[in-house]
Amino acid sequence: MSVEQQVVAIAAAYREFPLLGSRNMIWVTAQLHLLFAGFVLGVPIFAWICELVGVITKDLRFDWLAREFTKLLIAAFGTTATFGGVLLFLLVALYPTFFNVLTEIFYPTYFLYAGLFFAETTALYLYWYGWDAMAHRKGLHLTIGFLLNLTGTLLMMIANSWATFQMSPVFVSESAGVWRKAWQVVNNFTWMPLNIHRLLANVVLGGFICAAYAGFRYLAGITATDRERYDWMGHVGNFVGIFAMLPLPFAGYWLTREIYMYNQQMGITLMGGFLSWLFILQAILIGVLFLGVNYYLWLGLAYRTQGAERYRKFILAMLVTLAVCIGVWMIPHSLVASMEEAVKMGGTHHPLLGVLGLMSAKMTAANIMILVTFISFLLYWRANREETARWATAGRIAQVVIFAAAIAYVIWLGVYGYFVPVIVRIGFSVNQVLAVLATLAVVTVMTTLMLRNATLVGTMQWGRMPARSQYVLILMAADVILLMSMMGYARSASRTHWHIYGMMRDSSPDAFSPSLGDASLVIVACSVIFCLIVSFIFWVASLPGRAPVRAILAAQEAAGREAEEKVAAQHKTVGKIAAQLEAAKDAEVST
Amino acid sequence: MRNTFLKAFMVVLLFFGAFAVVAKSIPSTPSLPPEETLFEVAAIKTKQDIAMAGQKIFFGKGQCALCHSIEPSASYRCPPLRGIGAKLTRDALYESLTKPEAFIYLDYSSDPPKPFSARMPQVTKPPIGLTENESLAVVAFLQTLGGEITVDPSELTSPTPVAASQRAGDN
Repeated sequence: MSVEQQVVAIAAAYREFPLLGSRNMIWVTAQLHLLFAGFVLGVPIFAWICELVGVITKDLRFDWLAREFTKLLIAAFGTTATFGGVLLFLLVALYPTFFNVLTEIFYPTYFLYAGLFFAETTALYLYWYGWDAMAHRKGLHLTIGFLLNLTGTLLMMIANSWATFQMSPVFVSESAGVWRKAWQVVNNFTWMPLNIHRLLANVVLGGFICAAYAGFRYLAGITATDRERYDWMGHVGNFVGIFAMLPLPFAGYWLTREIYMYNQQMGITLMGGFLSWLFILQAILIGVLFLGVNYYLWLGLAYRTQGAERYRKFILAMLVTLAVCIGVWMIPHSLVASMEEAVKMGGTHHPLLGVLGLMSAKMTAANIMILVTFISFLLYWRANREETARWATAGRIAQVVIFAAAIAYVIWLGVYGYFVPVIVRIGFSVNQVLAVLATLAVVTVMTTLMLRNATLVGTMQWGRMPARSQYVLILMAADVILLMSMMGYARSASRTHWHIYGMMRDSSPDAFSPSLGDASLVIVACSVIFCLIVSFIFWVASLPGRAPVRAILAAQEAAGREAEEKVAAQHKTVGKIAAQLEAAKDAEVST
Repeated sequence: MRNTFLKAFMVVLLFFGAFAVVAKSIPSTPSLPPEETLFEVAAIKTKQDIAMAGQKIFFGKGQCALCHSIEPSASYRCPPLRGIGAKLTRDALYESLTKPEAFIYLDYSSDPPKPFSARMPQVTKPPIGLTENESLAVVAFLQTLGGEITVDPSELTSPTPVAASQRAGDN
């Protein structure tokens, strides 16, 4: 092929999208599709858990909550599919050669995907429209909900295989059959870690979006009942978000480790190359998230929970610990420095901060933040209860010892990691994670047992949280959306100038990776568009059952008048009785 | 309700804006793709020229270095190639590239023994898609690893230029 022919072939391989450019168009569409896909996968998991809890505890509020969120799925499902369709059209139109190659490799999975999509749609319709019909057959309804989540997760896994193959392609054997070949490319190095990471992240997104929605409704709430209901809803959303978030750093670490194992160069590009500062931004966003989660729990201790006074003294220590850990996590390993600065510093690595910029210190900080957040939750969990178990005191002491031992072990491994070879240090991270997970599991079981038959020392006063707590909920959802958009970019940009890493080069004019600042603008644009569309979906979903505000206010006023009249009538009756008693007394005295 | 939405949305926008400002303040430059090198068959005069072209393909379009190292290394997934030019004949090298399933040991753990699937891709097929000339050039490069180059410039079939790096249009 001559040079001229090659130029013609490349021109045929790509088409230009006007104004925005092909790459930006694909980027924004793919990111929005991903965010919506995360939403429609995370929310049913969240709803299903709520429904299950409702069935087990017989608390009807959980059923209401599950239903409230499943309602949103119908609109969000269509939006997700629309973005998926647009993405497909754009890929076929703008990157035809690349799409042909992907199709050649993955076409058997397309049929599976289509079949699962039908199955998921059917399950969703049955789950939503059959809610009332199956009100007395909750087992069946929950099974359909489970199938909805299962098909959704399998769909996500298939789509993940296309994305991860681009990152970590595997060569297929020619002699293998069609399905075996398909399985070989699907089961690539980064597929399973990304599946786990996205599954957890979707639940986090579902939980925090639920909490943000509740926060907004709380702020806009007209009646006290509204505020009570949405305060509780925000609490549940936050709770689900936190619990899915705690193992997320471990899943992220596993994914990065697999990337390094697959191709060290890609790992270096990601963590030590031009994308390394992106992870400082990630640390800031995760730091904000941890602070937000803890702050919300502390506000709950201060405003919502009677009997929590005895735990407030720990808040300052936890805040300081979190701040120090976030500080460590944010420290970069190498600095962008001029030659003079580098000479003065003795290199691009700061003598002190450069040490804290290593993964050993960051993993230690992340693990301690997880433990502190869990302690916050634990305090909130038992704030208004008094354990009655005979072994409660011993149990509390044991928990303190477990936490202290876990923190000491995590720090010790973090420090010791500086004195051993890299490969041993990486192994230490696994030990740190296992220690933290074991602590979480053991303490949760212990607390559950200790709080069995506990006496209430105060009530939960729903609807009393200050407005700032609700803005925290909204900001946490925004933070998670931003994080997901940013890490989507990181994963994609780690391929640098390859459509399929090491296999198929990007020869288009957009083959470069933009600077972090420029990328952040697209990331923010994706996040803003997503927030706007989600707000629109919430608004649309609220239309059918929405009573006019004036009517509610009028009803409230009428109810208030009625109550006042009732009280006045009662006063009148009491006055009459008192007068009669007085008269009877006088008569008795005179006789 | 509308005011609450506007207020909440402003808070979110401020947060996003703060993020963009921080991200923009970090000094960073775009990451540009490496330049593609072209070489022409017409310019190849000696066996050494073919081997050099093959070396570029080995580390570029051929993506051989994604799995194979030259020296033994624990971080690579496939056998190192130091001395491969002495171990295998030219025909065996060529066959390994173009028919990787041809000589492969049977898996005796199953009864009856069945063939292993080769992990080595057929380099003449997409997405790698080496041309005949490029495959011969890789063979010549592999022969330099302990052997003697036997690929002659006269064997290159076409006088048209050959890209050393992967071009999407080739697929």
